[in-house]
Amino acid sequence: MSHTAAAEPGTVATPWRRAPIARDKKGQWWRFGVIAVLTLIVNTPILAVLYLSTQAGPNSTTTGFTLENFARVFAETDVTIWLGNSLTVALVTVVVAVVVAAPAGYVLSRLRNRLVSGYSLILFVVQSLPVVTAAIPLFLTFTVFGLVDSLGGVAIVYIGSTMSVAIWMMAAYFDSIPISLEEAAWMDGATVFGSFRRIVLRNSLPGILSTAIFSFLLAWNDYLIALLFLQSPDKLTLPVGLQTFFQQNAADWASVMAVAVVMMAPPILIFAVLNRYFSLGGIGGSLAGR
Amino acid sequence: MSIGTVAERLQQARRGVGVSGRRPGTVRSRGDRTPLGRARGTLALFAIPSLLLLVLLNVFPVGYAIIQSVQDGTPSTLPTEAPFVGFANYVNVVTSAQFLHAALFTLAFTICGVFGSWIIGMAFALLLRTRIPANAAFKVLLLLPWIVPVVVSATAWNWLVATPQSPLPVALSAIGVTNANFLGDPVLAQIVVIIFKVWISFPFMMMMMSSALASVDLNVYEAAKIDGATQWQALTGVTLPIVSRTTYISWVLMTIFCVNDFPTIFLLTQGGPVNATTSLIVLAYQAAFQDQQTGPATAIAILMTVVLVIVSTVLYRQIKKVNIE
Repeated sequence: MSHTAAAEPGTVATPWRRAPIARDKKGQWWRFGVIAVLTLIVNTPILAVLYLSTQAGPNSTTTGFTLENFARVFAETDVTIWLGNSLTVALVTVVVAVVVAAPAGYVLSRLRNRLVSGYSLILFVVQSLPVVTAAIPLFLTFTVFGLVDSLGGVAIVYIGSTMSVAIWMMAAYFDSIPISLEEAAWMDGATVFGSFRRIVLRNSLPGILSTAIFSFLLAWNDYLIALLFLQSPDKLTLPVGLQTFFQQNAADWASVMAVAVVMMAPPILIFAVLNRYFSLGGIGGSLAGR
Repeated sequence: MSIGTVAERLQQARRGVGVSGRRPGTVRSRGDRTPLGRARGTLALFAIPSLLLLVLLNVFPVGYAIIQSVQDGTPSTLPTEAPFVGFANYVNVVTSAQFLHAALFTLAFTICGVFGSWIIGMAFALLLRTRIPANAAFKVLLLLPWIVPVVVSATAWNWLVATPQSPLPVALSAIGVTNANFLGDPVLAQIVVIIFKVWISFPFMMMMMSSALASVDLNVYEAAKIDGATQWQALTGVTLPIVSRTTYISWVLMTIFCVNDFPTIFLLTQGGPVNATTSLIVLAYQAAFQDQQTGPATAIAILMTVVLVIVSTVLYRQIKKVNIE
């Protein structure tokens, strides 16, 4: 059997890894084959985007692999503006969400009393509200304050919709930091704010990154709010920009997919670099733990 | 290893201790004797900004929407200008055939979305827990459907299935299935939208269940094996009970995600053909922004919210029970 022979190098190469289950070693290449095929099938639509974006469009003279679609969409469309708008909105959302959610998550993590339980229930209820319910009233309110058709207005809505999960994620991470560290600091006369800043936050980089990634994805991927709130061509973010472009150029798949690649590149790059910090596991615990 | 230890560990794993459960060091009603108890002002300052944002951006709009739902307004009229119509919007909405159809589709979409993505996500999580070369790479690659913006994936799915000339219908006709008009046929369109949702959501389930599985003490399996349990028995009798809390939580969250999901449906079908894939949230959107009637739109949204809050509060208590067990 070729797969049993092939299994040996893999076993030798990772001697430090705890063998999860005894039956594990045999059949690992068989499982590798299964999961490789499944991964390929699952990612077919994404591979199609990549493939089509590098194929010559209908009005082109070249054939085969080409990057001219990217050159063309950057030269002839507003994709640079959309990209800038999306980045601005997403970064503002991430910064405000983390700055507000981190201290709130600390309270949720360290205190147990009726007020905190009530707060936790509010977070849970807020999370289940449909965005459409809030969209119409916020649209009317934002009209009064001149926040419609403005990137700031959209960012504010995103901050509101990411807040409850962001607080949960921060609380879940703070749960993993032993309180004894802070207690030692308090003995030495540190204030709660001081210990939060110097001990808790300093040891929470993975938690902060997790929360930041979640908020970034929410702001980057949103379609509904951007569709309703943004109107001027120079205010559009990538989701609405891509959708408008798609509706106007439905036959020109090469250009449409080039814009699509521009849009999916940032979240994929972020995950490629930071995926080991990202964990949803904590949400469950912080949701049910109090 | 004694039986007592295994049972203890199982108990521990069930409660999720060491993963996300309550830690012994947590301050609980120790009053003013700790610095944390004395620093009420600081802690209030910590919580107040988030509370303000939650109230202004989530609670206030819902209150506003409740007022709009008993008025006959448009997306550009203020509540002070719109005429009061009582519960007429609710009555009209609930008695309309469109609403009933949308409610049933939302139900089917949610049930299939939640359990479909859970089963596939759980299967991948179980498979990825075994020894597989390049395991970590697959873990990341399988997250792509969830990471890629829905506008991009909807565009890709449109390319794959939208017209009879698209690649998938063409490939199917090569093996004898002709005239597969995926987004033109009402039933097929419903199925495609549901599969699309499962495709987007299973990585979320995979992540949730992977981290729950990581906390399962492997000695439990040794014990089950010694007792002569088959792999299937080990799965249903040991693994599933241990991850039951995370399972409930993931179901609650996914129910919320599915009921509130607008772009997945709207970007692929706009609710068509002939309203076949119009869910409640798409119906509310159409009422508000295409028919310019905020009354029925907010009535639909409020009804959805009430049902969703009731369902998730019941499940929230269920989770707490599992947690205490």
